[in-house]
Amino acid sequence: MMFSTRTRRLALAATATAAAAALALSGCSPAETGGDFDPEAEVELTFTWWGNDDRAARYQTLIDAFNEQYPNITINGNFTDFPSYWEVRQTEAAGGGLPDVWQFSDSYLRQYGEPGLLLDLGTVSEYVDFEAFDDALLGTGQLEGAQYSLPTGYSAWAVFQNDDLLAELGVEPYPGGTTYEEYSEWMAEVTAAGAAAGVYGGTDYTQRIQNFENVLRAQGKNLYTADGGLGFTEDELAAYWEMGAADRESVTVPQSRLEEIAPVSGFGAKLTASEMSWSNFLGGYLAESGAASLTMVAPPLDVDGGQDLYRQAGLQMAISADTEHPEAAALFLDFVVNSPEAGEIFGTTLGFPASSTKLAGATLEGADAQVADYLDSVADRIGAAPPVPVIGYGSLEQTFWDLGKSIGLGAVSVEDAVQQFFDEAAVILGQ
Amino acid sequence: MVITSVTPVRPGMKLHRRLTGVVWTIAILALTAVVLYPLAWMVSASFKPNSEFGSNQAFFPIAPTIDNYLKVFEGVGGVPLAIFFLNSFLLGIGAVIGTVISSSMAAYAFARVPFKGRGTFFAIMIGTLLLPFHVLIIPQYIIFRNLDMIDTFWPLLIGKFLATEAFFVFLMVQFIRTLPRELDEAARIDGCGHARIYFSITLPLIKPALITSSIFAFIWSWNDFLGPLLYLTSPRNYPLPLALRIFNDQTFASDYGATIAVSVLALLPVLLFFIIFQRFLVEGVATQGLKG
Repeated sequence: MMFSTRTRRLALAATATAAAAALALSGCSPAETGGDFDPEAEVELTFTWWGNDDRAARYQTLIDAFNEQYPNITINGNFTDFPSYWEVRQTEAAGGGLPDVWQFSDSYLRQYGEPGLLLDLGTVSEYVDFEAFDDALLGTGQLEGAQYSLPTGYSAWAVFQNDDLLAELGVEPYPGGTTYEEYSEWMAEVTAAGAAAGVYGGTDYTQRIQNFENVLRAQGKNLYTADGGLGFTEDELAAYWEMGAADRESVTVPQSRLEEIAPVSGFGAKLTASEMSWSNFLGGYLAESGAASLTMVAPPLDVDGGQDLYRQAGLQMAISADTEHPEAAALFLDFVVNSPEAGEIFGTTLGFPASSTKLAGATLEGADAQVADYLDSVADRIGAAPPVPVIGYGSLEQTFWDLGKSIGLGAVSVEDAVQQFFDEAAVILGQ
Repeated sequence: MVITSVTPVRPGMKLHRRLTGVVWTIAILALTAVVLYPLAWMVSASFKPNSEFGSNQAFFPIAPTIDNYLKVFEGVGGVPLAIFFLNSFLLGIGAVIGTVISSSMAAYAFARVPFKGRGTFFAIMIGTLLLPFHVLIIPQYIIFRNLDMIDTFWPLLIGKFLATEAFFVFLMVQFIRTLPRELDEAARIDGCGHARIYFSITLPLIKPALITSSIFAFIWSWNDFLGPLLYLTSPRNYPLPLALRIFNDQTFASDYGATIAVSVLALLPVLLFFIIFQRFLVEGVATQGLKG
């Protein structure tokens, strides 16, 4: 059907009108900032985080404590779960309207820092205490010399063990810090002892990119380079996945069994006596497994004196570049990351306190004290922080894990998995 | 006069027929059991204590408890569960009212009002069906943000009152096209305008389409996650799907028992809604055409 000239003209006019309207709507100018900051002025700030009910209750207590000092700054807090959280932030980043202060993750530092969506905290340095952090921890929120975010806490990679389960099976606990081969031997011993009860020594650790990172770091390498590329070769990845081949055959919990109990982990479901994860998972593991106590020991290491571990400060706080109240936002951010009140209220639930002033307020009891002891025990294994994660690190990490599971299910060979990972990485990293 | 001969049924034939019926019934019941098993498992699992998730995959809980429900009724982040339900209901009912009114008007115009470029506009409208929501998210978000409507229900309801759901408009257009034009013409001779014809003649006759649309609009709204996620920021305004997710945050400890209990509760209203209106749906389809 041919459109008549008139119809075409009408359609064009309609399109033009709609476009003009959209432009007019979106063309609002950002509010003028600057001028002298009045600490007494009535200000409203939006603040958002991801987490559950427990975290929400703690943040509410923190906001109340902040308002005792600054009754004129109203904090409108809200929260969602982790995956949804980033979907909304993406839309806000594109459409404007990012919250004034928000819980942030170092995985997204490049993605939000490079386009200038985050406030350079150097511009509000008189309201934020940077001295309470050591340089390595400050570095986790830095990009090209600018401080965009500050860590609320940190954690380190650890081997978790279920003491009661091991006692029932009559197997000595894993001492920690052995070679990978010795760890596999220990797991095999547990699996043999737990055959009747259906308990395994551990989970296939080659599924997790963090273990690969540790193996690389022990050799003085990294997962990615400072200029945003991959720091390892296909052969290195193949060798790493092959490392777990023998264990997958007969030692670690079968992946099909793990699929049945997902989203609970094998360790949380008491199917395995050990599992590797971040030290701040202790509380979650205790709740999930219902165990009276769990212990943490150093992960295996194949290189003598290798500094494979690092303080992972994933959880951070940031301010949006287009906030109308940068000074008030900075006061609140400082309160969240540095105040003794924050230490008292959150303990180690936002990671082990990264700021010395926040740590001073924390009462370390029970699980919190255990995390502190563990971090002390592996101090000589902790090396420099890795480079800022590449854009899209989150999805690379997930791809790695998914492929690891597929290898465990026998759905893909190591060779094909390596190929798939590098193909996907090429797309994500835009190479 | 027509004479029909009655064929006598052999006794063996009767038995055979009955047997076939029994076999069919058993087969259909078995199929239903397979289809409904996950639902039944969910209801049963909502009575399992948290420690049984992962360790006990059996159908029945070992130590049944109603703690999950008690915890769920307290709500999340200081907001009671009833508020989430209320929000979902408001959005659902708003979506139904908006969709029925606006889509039926738009459909009447496309089906019965001759205007220039009708075909073109109809094609454009159908074309919008091909646009995934993700393409519209950012421009829409900018518009609603500049209208200062973030964290209100307006962004989720305005579109429903402006016939933006092409699927419903198309459904009603097709339905109106099957109605005899003579009815409109008779009314026109009696002096009715479009408004009167639409209200007095078209609307009563397209009731089945209205009910079908209502059911879909309600269920889609009830299950919508992305829209509320973008536009509603404070937990007090959350509908159920968002509240559901908060119970299950994987970055800390997940509360599986609570998640499943909320899922069961969230399912009930939709189920009720469907059971109540399904009757009308079947009636509407069965009595298509004209009643004397």
